[in-house]
This record gives sequence, structure tokens and C-alpha cells, in this order.
Amino acid sequence: MSLKSERRGIHVDQSELLCKKGCGYYGNPAWQGFCSKCWREEYHKARQKQIQEDWELAERLQREEEEAFASSQSGQAAPSLTFSKFEEKKTNEKTRKVTTVKRFFSASSRVGSKKAEIQETKAPSPSINRQTSIETDRVSKEFIEFLKTFHKTGQDIYKQTKLFLEAMHYKRDLSIEEQSECTQDFYQNMAERMQTRGKVPPEKVEKIMDQIEKYIMTRLYKYVFCPETTDDEKKDLTIQKRIRALHWVTPQMLCVPVNEEIPEVSDMVVKAITDIIEMDSKRVPRDKLACVTRCSKHVFSAIKVTKNEPASADDFLPTLIYIVLKGNPPRLQSNIQYVTRFCNPSRLMTGEDGYYFTNLCCAVAFIEKLDAQSLNLSQEDFDRYMSGQTSPRKQESENWSPDACLGVKQMYKNLDLLSQLNERQERIMSEAKKLEKDLIDWTDGIAKEVQDIVEKCPLEIKPPNQSLAAIDSENVENDKLPPPLQPQVYAG
Amino acid sequence: MAAAGGGAAAGRAYSFKVVLLGEGCVGKTSLVLRYCENKFNDKHITTLQASFLTKKLNIGGKRVNLAIWDTAGQERFHALGPIYYRDSNGAILVYDITDEDSFQKVKNWVKELRKMLGNEICLCIVGNKIDLEKERHVSIQEAESYAESVGAKHYHTSAKQNKGIEELFLDLCKRMIETAQVDERAKGNGSSPPGAARRGVQIIDDEPQVQSGGGGCCSSG
Repeated sequence: MSLKSERRGIHVDQSELLCKKGCGYYGNPAWQGFCSKCWREEYHKARQKQIQEDWELAERLQREEEEAFASSQSGQAAPSLTFSKFEEKKTNEKTRKVTTVKRFFSASSRVGSKKAEIQETKAPSPSINRQTSIETDRVSKEFIEFLKTFHKTGQDIYKQTKLFLEAMHYKRDLSIEEQSECTQDFYQNMAERMQTRGKVPPEKVEKIMDQIEKYIMTRLYKYVFCPETTDDEKKDLTIQKRIRALHWVTPQMLCVPVNEEIPEVSDMVVKAITDIIEMDSKRVPRDKLACVTRCSKHVFSAIKVTKNEPASADDFLPTLIYIVLKGNPPRLQSNIQYVTRFCNPSRLMTGEDGYYFTNLCCAVAFIEKLDAQSLNLSQEDFDRYMSGQTSPRKQESENWSPDACLGVKQMYKNLDLLSQLNERQERIMSEAKKLEKDLIDWTDGIAKEVQDIVEKCPLEIKPPNQSLAAIDSENVENDKLPPPLQPQVYAG
Repeated sequence: MAAAGGGAAAGRAYSFKVVLLGEGCVGKTSLVLRYCENKFNDKHITTLQASFLTKKLNIGGKRVNLAIWDTAGQERFHALGPIYYRDSNGAILVYDITDEDSFQKVKNWVKELRKMLGNEICLCIVGNKIDLEKERHVSIQEAESYAESVGAKHYHTSAKQNKGIEELFLDLCKRMIETAQVDERAKGNGSSPPGAARRGVQIIDDEPQVQSGGGGCCSSG
């Protein structure tokens, strides 16, 4: 073997085969000349360094982004999150990072001023607050400002809230139900504490509780919304697919008492859909509820305009179901779960918001279980629509309208009108032809009749002199008469 | 702000949730509109909706906030009932005296409510449309004896003629206050009942076991 290799001119020196680190073992070109053990060490070190650098870069970008947000208005931050439908939670985080980087590069002109700002603001404390976004900061500031108006009670509330947040930080590994339980306990304790210790009147307690909820939930959102330990995400995808599969459901099938051909009504419907989609962009459970409430109010307006009477639940629920089907709101199940777990319960159970939220839960439950019977369809029809073989819209031209825009609707109406006109025109033509034929037939008929009569009793015109010549020709007994007297000449 | 189901220490108001159940067309909406707005089939009704209405009452010096939840009565939504009536303190089950079927429906609701919520809930069975007495198809005796047998109270109302509605709600409120007081005493004064204000949240967790075929949006996938 060694002879062969020498002949080919490939000579490898023994020292070159050894590990570069000189540990005495053989190295390998695949490991850049190290032996396996040394390579692992080197590689590990390099990787650590790389991770460290990446992390630092990410943090810097994050900070710069936040500063950029602060310098512009915070309101602008919302749309990028609001209007994108996230299929999965992870996409959310990815998108955020991508936009971060993009913003970093595009806004290069402002980098200078931003850097100055960074130095001014103190670095966020590394423990809980490390990943605070600008929104959390704003909410914190507002919360502190708000509490200042309550002096001593405010201080106590702040202290309690801080303690709770820290406790929650260590409970992150617990199941979501346990975390929810803790939060609910906290709400209850705080409300009682304020009433008994602080002697705060009930109306104010409610206000303070809203602020507390806003503060803690803005901070906890990231960890407790659609957590990985649950199957919320799977449920989101399931319901999303389900709604997509039900795209063919028409308002008529659900008996929705809303006439979308009235422009005002279709406007309300669009607004309602926008509101329910917006729910996903809010962090605080109460804000999410507010979206549901706004959506419901628009639904009521739409019904009121159509029916001209206040909407009952019999009208409201089908319409809400229709809105949910049309809107297919992102992360529907996660949002519902999040609100149920972390909303201040006094609001959920008896208030108006609670009622609308309950209806939303009902709508989702209905959509999940919906079958042929609940749409008054035969099983065959339902299966065919579900499999996409046919669509009810194709059968009834009337049902085109709900999805189309105003112009298209008008066009379909006009087409319909034209085809009707066409039909009538044809009818008129055929009737005119019939009339013409009738007329011709009639003339012919009359002519024929006349002919027949003429044939039956032919008109014989006798020479007029005959009758004159023999006035008494009809006298049968003519012959018996004596011959007419001949004039006689008497000689005289 | 007071917790649902009472929370009625001195100075605080009771908050009650009452669900309206019954088939479509029995006059649930008219009933509640008559009560809260004192209007019937009126074109000048100001409220945008009649599905969630509130009323503040003062009964013997006790303040009561009543939240009335209307429910969709169509058969296809029957399975959603449990989502609506969870945590309610009272239920008003309406039937139309001219419609035997609607009374059968009420019987179904009663069974379901007793099964799910036990005796904590105050039940009212209401025969509406007594202005159509001539066309009555549900006998008074049958209805009243049935109500008694299930521990419910029976009322006769006419939303059209505004008969019996005030009495119905007043009576219901009194009974709910009683139930709440019994509840409070049972839990002992002073010591805060753990989770009293959070029945909702806890019930949601149990739902899959309790419910049979009902729509549990919050728990089932």
C-alpha cells in the first residue's frame, strides 16, 4: 500500500497527520486539522462567541427599534401587527425581528439622533424587564402616573403589583391553568385589599382594577398568550381551517336578518368584521373585550337598519356567526382562552362586555359543531358544499351579491334585468308573429268561407229581357187558356 | 363591581345575572323590552338592542343590579345553552300559552338547568300572551303543578297589555336575594370565600365532564 502511494507522488508527512494542537493524536482535514477532541473544544468556543455576538446585535437592534418607536408615535407601531394574520405564533416573533432589521436599515438617517437618545435613557434592568417593549414602558409610566393620584393606597398597589409580577416570573414553568389561578387570586385579593384596607369606594376600585389589569397583562402577555404548553395554537389552526372550509355559507342559510344590499348595512358589516379581526392585536384582555363589544354594536346597528326594531338574541347570534365566518379572525381560540383565563372575572361574568364575549364563544362553538341540519340543508348538499364540488352561490344568482362589491352587484343586477328584458322582447316578437299569422289565417279563412258559400249557391244571372218578355211565363196553365183574342174586323 | 351571586355586605349592591330562555316567537324580547323600557312593539324604542339589558332596583333598601341576558331561541342553537346560563342567578323560562310545543321546550330547559346548576338557580316559568286567553292550549293547572313539582314559580304575563311583568321580576329579585343571603351565611361571615367571585373560571375547567354534547367553546377543541 505504502509503495503505491509513494509512486503516485502523494507523500504525507507524519507530522502533518497529527492534530494541530499538538496533543499527539491524529488530526483530520474535515476538522480543520484538529483531532476530534480538540475540534470539539475549538468549535464550541467559536460557536459560543458567535451566539454571544448575535445576541448582542439582536439586543442592540431591539433597543434601537424601541427608541425609534419612542421618537415617532407609538400609534404607528400597531398596524404592522394589527393587520397581518398570523398563522402561527412563531411567525409573529419572526416577523417582528424582520421588521426590526428592516427598520434599522431603512431609517439610517435617524440613527445618529437615536444613538444620542439611547445614551440618555437608562438601560432596562436585566431581570424581568429585559425584553420590555415600548408599549410596556408606556403602560408602566401611565400606571405609575395613575397611582400617584391615590397617594398611599397607590404606593401599596404598586408594591403589590410588583411583587405579583416577580412571583409570576418564577411561575412561568407552571401550567397555564395554575398561572391563571394565581392571576385570578391576585385580582380578588387586590379588590378586597383596596376595599377593606384602603377604604376605596367601589366605583374607584373598578377603575383601579382596570389599570392593574392593563399593567400586569401587558407584561405577562408574552408568556401567557397562546403558551407552548397548551394546544391553543393547534386549536387556532383547526378553527381557521374550519371557517375556510365553510366559506360557502350564505346569510340565507343562517337566517341572518341583515340586508347587505343597503349600503349603510354593508358598511356596518365591514366595520364589525374589522373590529373582530382587530381583537388579536390587543394585549390587555379588557381591550380585547372592547373589540368584541364594538363589533357587536355594529352588528346591532346593521340589524336595526334592516329590521327597524331592536335586535334580540335570536337576530344577534346568527349575525355574529356570519361575521365570524366572513372575517375568520386570527388566533381566535387563543384569544378566547386568554381572555377567559386572565380577564378580571367581575367584568366577564355580569357585564355587557361579558355578554358579547359569551356570544362570541357561542358563535365559535356553533361553527365547530355546525352540520347539515343546523343550516337546514340535506346531508348530500352539505357534503357537496364541504368538499367543494359545488357552491350554492352558483345555483342562485341572488347569492352572488353578499361577497361582491357594490359595482359588481349593480352589474349583476343589470345583467339580470337585461336578460329579463331580452326574454320579454322575445315574447313580444313571438306574439307579434302569432298575431300576423292569425291575421293572415283570418283573411284566408274569410276568403275560403266566402268561396264555399259562393260555390254552394252559385249566382246565376239570367238575361233581364226574359222576365220582361213573359210576365206570365210562370203560369203553368197557359196552354189551357183560350187563344188570345185576335182583333177582328167587322165589316160595317 | 360586586361579585356575581351577591357580594352584598353593607353598602354594596347585589349583581344578578338572569337568563331568558324559551323558543323563538314566545315573546322573550317583548317581555324584557316591556320591563326595561315599558314599550311594546313600539317604533320609538330607543335601545339599539334587546338582547342585553340592565335594570337597577331598590328592594327594601337593598340595591340590586339586574343584568338580563337574552338567548337565541332557535332549535339549532339549543346546544349552546350551557355557555349562556353558566353563573346565572336566575332563569326566566318563557312559553306561549297558545303553543303547546313551547311549553314542552320549557320542560326540557328546566331539566337541563337543574342538572347543570342544581338548586342554586331561581327558576321562573312564565306563560306569556295571556291576552290571547281564548286560544289557550296549555292548561293553567298543568303548568302550575309542573312548576311546583320542579321547584319553580309560575307566572302569567302579557307583554302586550303589560300584565304581571313587574311582579315577575320583583319576585325573582327577592328570591335571588334570599338565595344569595343563604349562600353568604353558609360560607360564614368575615372569612372570604375562596373563589367565590371566580365561579366562572372554575366552571369553565369542569365543563368537558359536565357537558353532554353542549358547545363548550372555551374548553373543547
